[in-house]
Amino acid sequence: MSNSLRALLGFGTFAVLLFLVGHYQSWNVALAILNLCIISGVMALGVNIQWGYAGLFNVGIMGFAALGGVAAVLVSQPIITSAWQAGGSGVLISGIMLLAVILLGLLAAKRMKSGWFKMLTLIIIILGGYFAIRQVYDPAVNAIEADNPAKSGYLGGLGLPILLSWIVGGLFAAGVAWIIGKISLGLRSDYLAIATLGISEIIIAMMKNEDWLTRGVKNVTGLQRPVPYELALQENPRFIEWVEWFNASNLAGLSGEAKATALRNLVVEGSSVFVKLCYAGLFSAVLLIVLTLCVLALASPWGRMVRAIRDNEISAAAMGKNITRRHLQIFVLGSAVVGIAGAMLTTLDGQFTPSTYQPLRYTFLIWVMVIVGGSGNNLGAVLGAFLIWFIWIEAEPAGNWLMQYATQWMEDGSELKRHLLDSAQHMRLFIMGVVMLTVMRFSPGGILPERTNTTTIKA
Amino acid sequence: MKKLLLASTILAGLTGAAFADGHEVKMGVILGFTGPIESLTPDMAAAAELAMKETAGKVLDGKTVVAVRADSTCTDAAAATAAAERLITAEGVVGIMGADCSGVTTAIANNVGVPNGVTMVSPSATSPALTTIEDKGFFFRTAPSDARQGQVLADVLKDKGITKVAVTYTNNDYGKGLAEAFGAAFKANGGEIAISAAHEDGKADYSAEVGALSAAGAEHLAVFGYVDQGGKGIIQTSLDTGAFDKFILADGMIGESLIKAIGKDLEGTIGTLPGSESAGAAKFKEVATAGGLAKNDGPFMPESYDAAALMILAMQAAKSTDRAAIQSKMMDVANAPGEKILPGELAKALEILKSGGQVDYEGASNVTMTEVGEAAGSYKELVVKDGKFATVKVR
Amino acid sequence: MIDFLNALVLFANFVLIPGLAYGSQLALGALGITLLYGILRFGNFAHGDTMAFGTMTVVLITWYFQSIGISFGPLPTALLALPFGIAITAVFLVVWDKLVYKHYREVKAPPIRMVMASVGVMFAMNGIVRFIIGPNDQNFMDGERFILKARAFKNATGLNEGLAIKSSQLLTVVIAIVLVSALFWFLNKTRTGKSMRAFSDNEDLALLSGISPQRVVLVTWILVGALATVAGVLYGLDKSFKPFTYFQLLLPMFAAAIVGGVGHPVGAILGGFVVAFSEVMVTYAYKKFLTYLVPADYAPDGLMQLLSTDYKFAVSFIILVVVLLVRPTGLLRGKVI
Repeated sequence: MSNSLRALLGFGTFAVLLFLVGHYQSWNVALAILNLCIISGVMALGVNIQWGYAGLFNVGIMGFAALGGVAAVLVSQPIITSAWQAGGSGVLISGIMLLAVILLGLLAAKRMKSGWFKMLTLIIIILGGYFAIRQVYDPAVNAIEADNPAKSGYLGGLGLPILLSWIVGGLFAAGVAWIIGKISLGLRSDYLAIATLGISEIIIAMMKNEDWLTRGVKNVTGLQRPVPYELALQENPRFIEWVEWFNASNLAGLSGEAKATALRNLVVEGSSVFVKLCYAGLFSAVLLIVLTLCVLALASPWGRMVRAIRDNEISAAAMGKNITRRHLQIFVLGSAVVGIAGAMLTTLDGQFTPSTYQPLRYTFLIWVMVIVGGSGNNLGAVLGAFLIWFIWIEAEPAGNWLMQYATQWMEDGSELKRHLLDSAQHMRLFIMGVVMLTVMRFSPGGILPERTNTTTIKA
Repeated sequence: MKKLLLASTILAGLTGAAFADGHEVKMGVILGFTGPIESLTPDMAAAAELAMKETAGKVLDGKTVVAVRADSTCTDAAAATAAAERLITAEGVVGIMGADCSGVTTAIANNVGVPNGVTMVSPSATSPALTTIEDKGFFFRTAPSDARQGQVLADVLKDKGITKVAVTYTNNDYGKGLAEAFGAAFKANGGEIAISAAHEDGKADYSAEVGALSAAGAEHLAVFGYVDQGGKGIIQTSLDTGAFDKFILADGMIGESLIKAIGKDLEGTIGTLPGSESAGAAKFKEVATAGGLAKNDGPFMPESYDAAALMILAMQAAKSTDRAAIQSKMMDVANAPGEKILPGELAKALEILKSGGQVDYEGASNVTMTEVGEAAGSYKELVVKDGKFATVKVR
Repeated sequence: MIDFLNALVLFANFVLIPGLAYGSQLALGALGITLLYGILRFGNFAHGDTMAFGTMTVVLITWYFQSIGISFGPLPTALLALPFGIAITAVFLVVWDKLVYKHYREVKAPPIRMVMASVGVMFAMNGIVRFIIGPNDQNFMDGERFILKARAFKNATGLNEGLAIKSSQLLTVVIAIVLVSALFWFLNKTRTGKSMRAFSDNEDLALLSGISPQRVVLVTWILVGALATVAGVLYGLDKSFKPFTYFQLLLPMFAAAIVGGVGHPVGAILGGFVVAFSEVMVTYAYKKFLTYLVPADYAPDGLMQLLSTDYKFAVSFIILVVVLLVRPTGLLRGKVI
């Protein structure tokens, strides 16, 4: 089967599944699934850039997604002046001090001759700097966090439109990726995996504990929205008229009180659908832009070079390509895309909750999407994201139903039956692991394998 | 796989369509059936369903309220929102009993509940931040805010003459919010917080945390965590290393399983738990036992029963299953004037409302709603005595 | 003088003893990782969950023993169940090798593919363990809990500070020493051990000299299973068993293996203690300790804590990064098994 036919078939299946959900459950549920599918698609594209283009194994997707979430808070929330007055200057000063210490340390590391004296100087700079910063930082942070802790207790954001945070989220993720890449690329290939695993956990730990920045575990709720509010729509006469017109045939048979009630229900439902459609439009736009850029990049000379490096590092190096630089570039780009998706996700949720970031949901699931969809193939990654997210969401009812069916013959109230029913949810982990291993083993290309212009010769 | 999915989707669709049956009214029960408080939620759901059973066939001329359960996971806002979306738009529930943890409750209220105009009554979301969310009057809670519990705890300690404590809290919105509320109240009472440090749930080892807590030099340790999570580990480690032997517990830590796990070293421990020793609380125990529930006095069970009962009564008072109509009657049935209603008397209340009278639902937890739709709340002061939590008095 | 003793006891109680036990547990875990790294040449992300699986089998067998009334006197029953647990875990690992890793060895896939496959295995194992025993805490320690109780120590010595030694802590250290000695004896003195070292040094040369690769792989997995199960059981006895915690042990164990020098068994042990002690020492609040040592006027006001306990596991990561930057080969250079 050709790739385009497969793609058509894959996306077609997805559309049918979504239609069934919309028809039998509700369109709101279907659209909610679709929105998360699109966000997952963007995230999967980011991972595909790293793994599919360059074979970089990033196990810290969760951390980059969370950085996007931070961006959403910092860009869109209003400035809290009282908190800035209480400790803003202290935090700024400690930030400057941190920069100074890093610069001083780098300078010493570069300029001084190796030996015990250099070591000692470095240790003094780092430790001295650390304690000096703590002297300024701690009181400032305490002051900020004591400022109306139940409602704010943090510095707030910049009060800018939240859409801007999608870009800022990408930049945040790119910045952190650059630092990680600088440290661990160029060493053994699996060191990157360990480094990303660690840094993602640390990013989450910082978000949970640095309350002055994002309120920590107290969560930031009620984030600004780029789309209208349902309640505003429900009171908007234009919108009501529009719903009435749209449902004219359904309302025709009714009159008076019955019609008013029916209309009100339709308006409420319609407002939810409308808001989700707005989100879907915004997300699709991002997905299309990123996808187009990815496809263009992969087909360009740059894309060929990248794939050449991936397939044979030694000969690419012999051709004079700087492998570490390319890897760094790709790692930063891919992480930036994940950061964008993370900001989109937080925007959709309308709140930033650090404790939701679990490696299973934000790292591993995305990996399954890329592997199943087709590593190295952009469209494949997106398709994988759509299908796997759909399965992930519908697996809960399906798994329960299956378990119930499988344990039908057992006695009611038997210990084993209860245990099996309770454990049904854990099968999700097992199934996802097995799916990933099976696809890797028997169909390394995924549903939509990477297209190569040259005929492949089997070794 | 695809065929299977198709089958299950259709199946789910069919069950979703079943609500057309005129004698059933669906009510959502969204609680964290998986996640950090999974050991509490089955009993809470059972208590809520008890209220529905009690009124079966008696609501609005012979209707029965049935529960549709969904998992809030307690931590994952996206999953909770999706579950609520399903309940409201696919299952067509008229109101939601839930959610449980403050974070996911806010997400559901903001993203699904309020926009769709669905009344939500949470039995256990206690974060002070929920008092001020933009809920358009659709969010209620039968559990009091933690701001109140912090104050009560501080007062208890003042009466006991304890002036310096170390505080450790579970690192989430509940623990942190309570620790801050308690800290402020305790300082206002003239006390000193030696150290206030978080602990993560689900770690195997808490010796570093306990080491830091003990270094601060307080004799008492206040633990604001969960009984089957990190809180237990902190207490165990404190006793093992000899760091602390006097503890102060908040509601999440109260449970017989703690005493069972730790043993007699816990004797003399002080705690607070929402609830009262009122006639309603005693009545609820009887009703729960008669209703065949596994437990009759678990944490948040009375609040869950009350949450469901309030919505059922509001439905009757509004004489409609319309979502907005239910919301408009919530305050009326919860507060005076009207005849006082205790657990087990729901049928009577329905009769009164049917004939145009008024009720003042007291319920199992002494329900009185403040202006913003949350319980004013009374707390039991507890002490561990002879291997049991015994109530000293109600505050 | 009394103050000095108090400070010493305080330090031993909160830093030295927990650090020693934790370090031994990490060292055993890191040894498993490093062994696999040296011989099969990939970083095994499923190691934490292998530990969880091994511990789970031991927990289940322990429960069975307890139910039929077998006990080990003052020692935990789990020690009796340990050999059975090791056997089951070893078989389990060999089956996974046949199903997954063997293929990648045969096609000579790049190591990163193996690492990725191990992530898949990790999640599958995660699911299996949770499916069988559930995600909750399991306490399976029985027998005598304490060798020395804090209060008893205070009463006996008259010091302000107590010293507690749990029997699980002593057991951990003793068993770790025995196991590590046995492992070194095996690798250095037996024929199979020597062939494994040869295989690790130079695979082609080893193959030429007639070493059977299947045998080496088999023995490696058995050793890894034994190390993982013992490490997991000791950790579980000392603290408690919970699948998620074992998954999180992955980072400190990897850090220990890399810090010590990957593929280097002595390094893994050294790394384990470096990571464990830094975690405990960096997050300990020294206020009380210093108050004993310095004159009363100079007693510190703050907690004297370098890093809040919230960032405990960040410590292992920071050490990892520093080592990667300063000395990428680890403290002990070279790949020597």
